[in-house]
Amino acid sequence: MYRTLRLCASGGGFEALPETPRTVDLKRVRAALEAARVPVIDARVMLIATLEVEVTISRAGRLLFKTADPAAADRAFAWLRPLLG
Amino acid sequence: MLMSGGIDSPVAMHYLLRQGHELLAVHMDNRPFTDDSPLAKVVDHLALLRERYHQPIPLYVVPHGTTQVTLMRETDRHVGCVLCRRFMWRSAERVAEREGATFLVTGEALGQVASQTLSNMRTATASVHLPIVRPLIGLDKQEIEAVAKSIGTYEISTRPGVCCQAVPDRPATRSNLVQILREEERLDVDQIIDDCVRKAVLL
Repeated sequence: MYRTLRLCASGGGFEALPETPRTVDLKRVRAALEAARVPVIDARVMLIATLEVEVTISRAGRLLFKTADPAAADRAFAWLRPLLG
Repeated sequence: MLMSGGIDSPVAMHYLLRQGHELLAVHMDNRPFTDDSPLAKVVDHLALLRERYHQPIPLYVVPHGTTQVTLMRETDRHVGCVLCRRFMWRSAERVAEREGATFLVTGEALGQVASQTLSNMRTATASVHLPIVRPLIGLDKQEIEAVAKSIGTYEISTRPGVCCQAVPDRPATRSNLVQILREEERLDVDQIIDDCVRKAVLL
């Protein structure tokens, strides 16, 4: 579903894009995050979750990890990936 | 004066400081839809301009992220940037009135982003009463960047940072005030502004 992380256009974080167009079930992801006691803000068309770094999860599947540290982004990505299906 | 951390607002501030106007800065803190970088950039812009013009330039940081969440949950995403802008103006006006400021200033230049079309500017600024000064309105990006480089703010503005994640995929470039007012009927506008301004921090 997702291949890899890359630096986002403005250079302030790392993003992961789905390989094929998809729609993420944000309600299900939110429930999974909350079950794991991850603080999450539900802005209807996106979730903002506080993992090791803050991550935005859009309905279209784009993930944005707000950190300049690639290793931290990688760890958060690895943690989040199974929840997204 | 609204300060975003971008290229334009410190240039607009520079023009007014150069003329000897006394200014105070307002930064709308858009976290968690951005990262910490816009605020850090504003702090650095002001440090540079304070030193250059020997003015204290107080900075108010007004939380705006909660407002964004409300707008995204309750209103039409297509006009999200115009609604966001109207709430920013209202908060800035409230701070201005509290501080005895007589006008609002912005670094807007025509046509640079979705919120900066004439139509959207008109709709956005219909939310406030104070006059608005736009020193950069007719300049193009290259002209603004040249000034930013000459005054030393460009390097700060172009440091890495996360862009606003609340911007919709296809933001409206034309807006209709009637439609915007209808969207705002779903919200307790005064309460939202009261909350934001009450939580504002003076740095």
